[in-house]
Amino acid sequence: MLARPSRIVVATALAAVAWLSTSSLPAAAEDWTASPQIRELYEKAKAEKEVNYWGQVEYDLVWAGDYFNQRFPGIKVNIVADPQGPTKMIAESRSGKLSADVTQQTLGSVLEVQKRGLLAKLDWSLAGVEKRNVLLDSEAGAMHNFVYSVLYAKDKMAAADLPKTWEDLLDPKWKGKLVISDFLFPRLLGFLALEWGPDRAEKWGRDLIDKQNILVTNAPRENFLKTGERLLAVAEGVQAAGQYKREGVETGYVIMNLIPAGQFLIAALKDGEHPNAGKLLALWLASDEGKALRAKLVDEPDIRPGSKAELAAQIQSAGAKVLFEDMSNFNERAEYYKRFSPMTRGM
Amino acid sequence: MVAIPTESTSARGADVGLAGGGLLAAAVLATVYLISAPLVMLLASAFRGPQDLLPFEPGTHWTLSNLAQIYVDKTLYSAVIPNTIVFTLGSVTLTFTVAFTLAWLVERTDMPWRTTTFTVVLFPLLVPGIILGIAWILLMAPKTGLLNVAIRATLGLNGEGPLNIFSMGGLIFAQGIALVPFVFLLLTAALRSMNPVLEEASNTSGASPAVTFFRVTLPILRPGILAPLILATLVTLEQFEMPLILGLPARISVFATRIYYELNPDTDLPAFGRAAAVALPFLAAGLLLLWFYNRMTRRADRFVTITGKGYRPTRIEIGRCKLPALAFVGLYAAFAVISPALVLVWASLFGYQAPSFAALSAINFAGYLDMINSARFWAAVRNTFVVAGGSAALVTIIGALLSWTILRTRWPGRSVLDFVSFLSIGIPSVIAGLACMLLYLSLPVALYGTVWVLILAYSYRLAVTTRLSRAALMQIHGELEEASHVSGGRWFTTIRRVVLPLLAPSLLASFVLLFIIGFREFTLPVLLQSRENEVLSVIMWKLLVGNQTLQAAAVGTTIVIVIIPVIFLMRRLLLGREAN
Repeated sequence: MLARPSRIVVATALAAVAWLSTSSLPAAAEDWTASPQIRELYEKAKAEKEVNYWGQVEYDLVWAGDYFNQRFPGIKVNIVADPQGPTKMIAESRSGKLSADVTQQTLGSVLEVQKRGLLAKLDWSLAGVEKRNVLLDSEAGAMHNFVYSVLYAKDKMAAADLPKTWEDLLDPKWKGKLVISDFLFPRLLGFLALEWGPDRAEKWGRDLIDKQNILVTNAPRENFLKTGERLLAVAEGVQAAGQYKREGVETGYVIMNLIPAGQFLIAALKDGEHPNAGKLLALWLASDEGKALRAKLVDEPDIRPGSKAELAAQIQSAGAKVLFEDMSNFNERAEYYKRFSPMTRGM
Repeated sequence: MVAIPTESTSARGADVGLAGGGLLAAAVLATVYLISAPLVMLLASAFRGPQDLLPFEPGTHWTLSNLAQIYVDKTLYSAVIPNTIVFTLGSVTLTFTVAFTLAWLVERTDMPWRTTTFTVVLFPLLVPGIILGIAWILLMAPKTGLLNVAIRATLGLNGEGPLNIFSMGGLIFAQGIALVPFVFLLLTAALRSMNPVLEEASNTSGASPAVTFFRVTLPILRPGILAPLILATLVTLEQFEMPLILGLPARISVFATRIYYELNPDTDLPAFGRAAAVALPFLAAGLLLLWFYNRMTRRADRFVTITGKGYRPTRIEIGRCKLPALAFVGLYAAFAVISPALVLVWASLFGYQAPSFAALSAINFAGYLDMINSARFWAAVRNTFVVAGGSAALVTIIGALLSWTILRTRWPGRSVLDFVSFLSIGIPSVIAGLACMLLYLSLPVALYGTVWVLILAYSYRLAVTTRLSRAALMQIHGELEEASHVSGGRWFTTIRRVVLPLLAPSLLASFVLLFIIGFREFTLPVLLQSRENEVLSVIMWKLLVGNQTLQAAAVGTTIVIVIIPVIFLMRRLLLGREAN
């Protein structure tokens, strides 16, 4: 079940491996794994036998074990999905019982762990990670992006009728036909405020609520799309389209003119139980090979500049502008988020 | 009301002996131990800041900023608190009406299939809130809800509705129905312990059934009714699952949703301080309600119904009313049991495919096959039974001993103990989890990461069992214990042969309730999880948030299939054939 992905995922995974074996990626990957530093790190990691890989959602983590083991046999990957992971890491660390070796979190969460000096500095270049993808003073690597989009059930919507811009959603034809997650709504507004300014973003959000009667909910949105109760799920991540499809909901996504992209990071813990295995796993996950597998298996691509992901190419060909979450806009977006949250939650 | 001899003073000053005293003292210490860490954490967190540090980190200091940030918000007073009051009053009224009717039918009448009804009524308690929410949306969503479609087709209506689950009425309905099993369990215990001789005396004196009900039945059941009423009010006040799923779309925000949002911020760590500040009024409400309860039941002797003069539980023959009674049970089952059960089973085989005959060809057993073939699933099954069963047993035993100490001894500080044990209901799980994490990380014993830490963490919830066993003890006259003592029975013998058999319905109700709550609990085990102590609810939650609906629903269905027979058998074995 959780320990091994479903048959569909396995089939997809095998196809991905076959594809990877004929592409140029493995060659590059083999290059970095064959370097003396990595061989030495692998030998130390092998002696540790296992590695604890922490994140927020198990689905994002579970695929990694088998593929990491194919590349680096003899190291068991234990996964821990915990929404309170950073809190737990801080508490465990203070007691000298830190059990996490690698953490995969949002930029905000990793920053909290980094502020407390828990992260290890890595030479990410050993895994071929480009400089622009090395963050937080070499203590974290850029992973995938949460690419905001608008999802729709393919059997209920014609592609020609779909909105192209966020403003299009204010067209009266969408009144009573939109659904949005209460969790993602203020986050989307925070990104849009970076581009539009906070007043315009706030007005747009209020219009969605007051004029378009958008359904703000904590319930899974695929259910609303499947039944036709609502036609468009606003502010969903592109990766959800793939997940919904596997759940029997043929779901498409729209590449909007402006694309907010949340940033996930990977980092190794300084005082983890298995420090060398942690470093090795973090490097592998941040490598082109790890990222390509993640994009293929769980639909979580990296769309940062230089990305080889299919979605990045789609965005480029659509001429859309991407609003990346990074250190330059992190605090500003956080303030906007706090400003918009009460409005989206009816408070 | 029929006069009953007052409680003897000898019972109050019962000679418990050295061993008995040791046992009671151990229960008291255990209570203090289990509750103090979460309680101290809650109070400390509410007054520790700044918010960008966790409450236990260096650099934090005492502050009122958490309270200020929560309570200066004008919307809180203009919308959130009024919404909360309407939501709570509406839900509790509906819950209580339905639960009391069902409990009375099961425990006091000769309605057929009572054990089956008892088991069926508990179903909504077994199903995760999110599944119940989805079931209601599928049934009563304004455009596509199956009930709305059927009503519109029957009445020839167009457009949306007429029912709308996304409204205050819909929210009250969904929450009210979801809480019925909780109150039902508490009420069955009180009704079962009631000696019908008082009602018979009233009837013999010429009083009508209605007069008997309002002037005899209800007054003597006061402790047994007030306890679940207070608990239901507090549980509804703290409820944020249904308001998030069904209330938010209608722009209805209630007080407790703030806890959820404070623990799920965008850029910072969870705001434990503000979450604790939100939780403080629950503690205050709990204290107020407990004071009210104690005031309303302060003359314990007025509620004694089980005396040494013979206790003969009999049932009211409802004759031709059996059919309407079963129809009421059926109506409840249709809304609260069958609909969510169908949604759960359908989701486990078809995911989010809309129900139709055409969809049947897409049946997929992958969810069940993945589950059966997973060693991790079976380990979680074992852990879940150990943790839920262990904590339910521990809390039931401690709660019963505590209640006996409070009611039957003259030990100093017992009323403080009563309040402290009750406060556990106002502590959010996540705060309790954080407290346990810090406590067991710092202790030199290797409990952190094991199933034992979960048993101890779950066991802070003493409010349910102390209320229940205290109310039941108030119905048992001290003269029964006195008679045993005078006949040479030692304290242990008296407890084992006199008190425990009479308390059995309450203890069973308490155990079942805590067992189910333990089975469903996911906040504590997620926070305290390790590779060794994973439980089913954690697996299910992980699957749900990972959009693996088939697998999550398969685990949910399995939980229900496993627990339902356990409850059925438990009631049959513990209460005997008379139960049905």
